[in-house]
Amino acid sequence: MEDDENLHALLDTQDDEENEIELSPAVLIEVMEEAWLNEKFSPEILPNKIDFVELLLGQLSAMEENLENVGDRDIKKTLHLLEVDRLRFLVGSYLRMRLEKIEFYVDHILKQENSRLENREDLYLTEAELTFARNFKEGIDNHFEHLMRVHPTIPVDWKNQVIQPNIHSFVFSRSKTNIESIIIDEGNDDETVYVNKDSQMIISYNSVSNLVKKGDVQLV
Amino acid sequence: MDPEEVEFLGEKENVVIVPTFNYGVIHLIAGDIGPFRAGLPIKVPLWVAINLKQQQTCKIQQPDWMDVENLEVLKENEKNAITFTRMPNEHYMALTKALLKFAPDDLIRANEIRTLVKDIWDIRMSKLRSSVDLLIKEKSSYAAVDNLTILEINSVRPLLPHALDQIHRMKKLQGPQLGTNSSAGHTSSYSFRS
Repeated sequence: MEDDENLHALLDTQDDEENEIELSPAVLIEVMEEAWLNEKFSPEILPNKIDFVELLLGQLSAMEENLENVGDRDIKKTLHLLEVDRLRFLVGSYLRMRLEKIEFYVDHILKQENSRLENREDLYLTEAELTFARNFKEGIDNHFEHLMRVHPTIPVDWKNQVIQPNIHSFVFSRSKTNIESIIIDEGNDDETVYVNKDSQMIISYNSVSNLVKKGDVQLV
Repeated sequence: MDPEEVEFLGEKENVVIVPTFNYGVIHLIAGDIGPFRAGLPIKVPLWVAINLKQQQTCKIQQPDWMDVENLEVLKENEKNAITFTRMPNEHYMALTKALLKFAPDDLIRANEIRTLVKDIWDIRMSKLRSSVDLLIKEKSSYAAVDNLTILEINSVRPLLPHALDQIHRMKKLQGPQLGTNSSAGHTSSYSFRS
């Protein structure tokens, strides 16, 4: 919990000085773990955490560099290498999950990103992810165009069938603070509930999506 | 989520080991561990403990809650309580499994621990199944799942969220007359606690 407070304090300073994020490595790992779980369970792609990813990767390469000078029989070396492997798995798994989502929902995600661009909002994808998404879409579109030319009788409205994530899908959540009201979509009329810190629920994702992005709710 | 990934999270839990070697502080990225003094207990993450144990350079101390007497109390409590009791550790299953696998010689009455923890797990799973059954029958839109550990949540993940999603879709299609029915008298806010 203490770490959480530190984190919030640190994140506040982040707003002031754009490019400088100062986090203790331990907190950094925690942020990464939370991002990993959130990304794993949220049906839609979440705002990217590339700053944290890069910081952590920086830590990892620095550590690997240092280890080159350490003898192989040193106890220290095995433990450090093991930790580096664990963290690489974490970052790798996180990035892979995002790519999977981009591939699956490419049309939907690009549409959303375009409207964010128009409204001058922060993009969810990183620059590299955006390039990947655009190339991927181009490849897919070309491929289908090509296929369809062989069967000209097939109607062309398949292009308008965009695969969208189901934001109504149910998720398990843990609240990190007291939350005044969560709106429950009852299908027909809505209901609001008060949620205590640390309580766990199974709930529709769209009821908590904003809280997840804000960091008040953790998906588990 | 794969069970291995839940284990991965559990391996961050701290355990106390008694090293058989001397070594200075090791500056891991996640924080410092050490200094190690032969014979002096020290707290380290589980993954470190397992690694050292595999090299036979430490003994792992059994966590207090893993005492057979304590587990028996926990089991009784779990049996008598209608709701889920709070487990001594979020990753009690992962910890027990890891210690039984890698350090059975460091545990006191290891076989009884195995049986008791399995019993507690079974009681909780049967509770979970009947709660889920009720939840589905009441067509709830949300439920509190306090005190469930991640591994337990993970065990219902393949089915429960999808079932609720289907119910939600049906509710939407059914129209308002049934909707008012479900929101009357708070039956919709069925809680695992009640």
